[in-house]
Amino acid sequence: MLGEFEYLLITVAAGLGENAYGAAIREEIEATTERKCSMGALYTTIDRLEKKGLLKTWMGEATPQRGGRAKRMVRVTSPGVRAAKEFYDAVMRVSRGASWAESQTGRTS
Amino acid sequence: MNGIAWPLAMLASQLLDRDERDAVLGDLLETNESAWRGFLDVSGLVLRRQAGLWKDPRPWLAALVVALPCSYLLMDVSVSVSCTYQRLVNHKVYGWHWPTGHEGFPLLLCHIFLLLAWSWTSGYIIGSLSRRTLWASTALSLVPAVFCLHMYPSQTLPRLCLFLFLLPGLFGVRHGLQNLRISLRAASFLALAIAVLMLSAWRQQALWVLNWALLLPALYLVGAAVGRSRRERRSGSSPAGHTEVGV
Repeated sequence: MLGEFEYLLITVAAGLGENAYGAAIREEIEATTERKCSMGALYTTIDRLEKKGLLKTWMGEATPQRGGRAKRMVRVTSPGVRAAKEFYDAVMRVSRGASWAESQTGRTS
Repeated sequence: MNGIAWPLAMLASQLLDRDERDAVLGDLLETNESAWRGFLDVSGLVLRRQAGLWKDPRPWLAALVVALPCSYLLMDVSVSVSCTYQRLVNHKVYGWHWPTGHEGFPLLLCHIFLLLAWSWTSGYIIGSLSRRTLWASTALSLVPAVFCLHMYPSQTLPRLCLFLFLLPGLFGVRHGLQNLRISLRAASFLALAIAVLMLSAWRQQALWVLNWALLLPALYLVGAAVGRSRRERRSGSSPAGHTEVGV
């Protein structure tokens, strides 16, 4: 089962599609969660997920705005999609009946 | 990005892999991070990476078992070789005679070969085991240097004589980092040559008992070559991405 941050990263990377790379993922996570995301957490999690086969990464093109440095591109693999769906389903199941989930599930506590 | 924080971030990033360094520094530039946050970000990533590396026993082995004791012993041998050379060639006798103070040219040559071989094999092991923790092995090998420079009487040999082992040692580190493969035959030949010369010096009472520890890196090379050849025989594949040295 994925951890919370792993799920966030996979979901954001999947949403960014072809444009998923370190800086873009980080900005999206910070904008969505309104929390700071450190480089250390981001890149070590990307590595961990890649070792588990849930992500694939490769070095992309270098751009002038990056000082001629390459991007580390990220793509979510099929096992990654399955793992994210399992996490989402588990969260939805466990949230049924929770007071804060009323509007989502249509149930009252 | 300007000020001192950006150069510090660049410096800290040297401890990362080249690809990761490119990606991280590029991300910082692209997102216009403040220099200090960039520095903290890079430092945080470096700390996490280093913490991961130190879970492996090899960096500990390289730093504590090889770098620290070997640099001390090799410094001792460097001084011994310098003393013998000065006595035989320049007819200058220094107060510190080691090991006997009566060695001739054959023993001097034997000690020079041993110094080169010990330094190279120790450096090779440090380079191949340390990798990105080389900074720690380097720092620990400086500890005896600081101690010796402090204790070393200024009226005797030039202080440079303490560091005769440095150049072959650095070559060894470089070869270790490059993963230069030593064939079983070459490693065995090297270990045997070192052992024979050490025995010869030992019989003439021209070898300190602790110097036997300097044979261990050569034996490690033999052990590593045996293990590798066994693995290759089992998998039936030829190695790729290495330069092999043989005799």
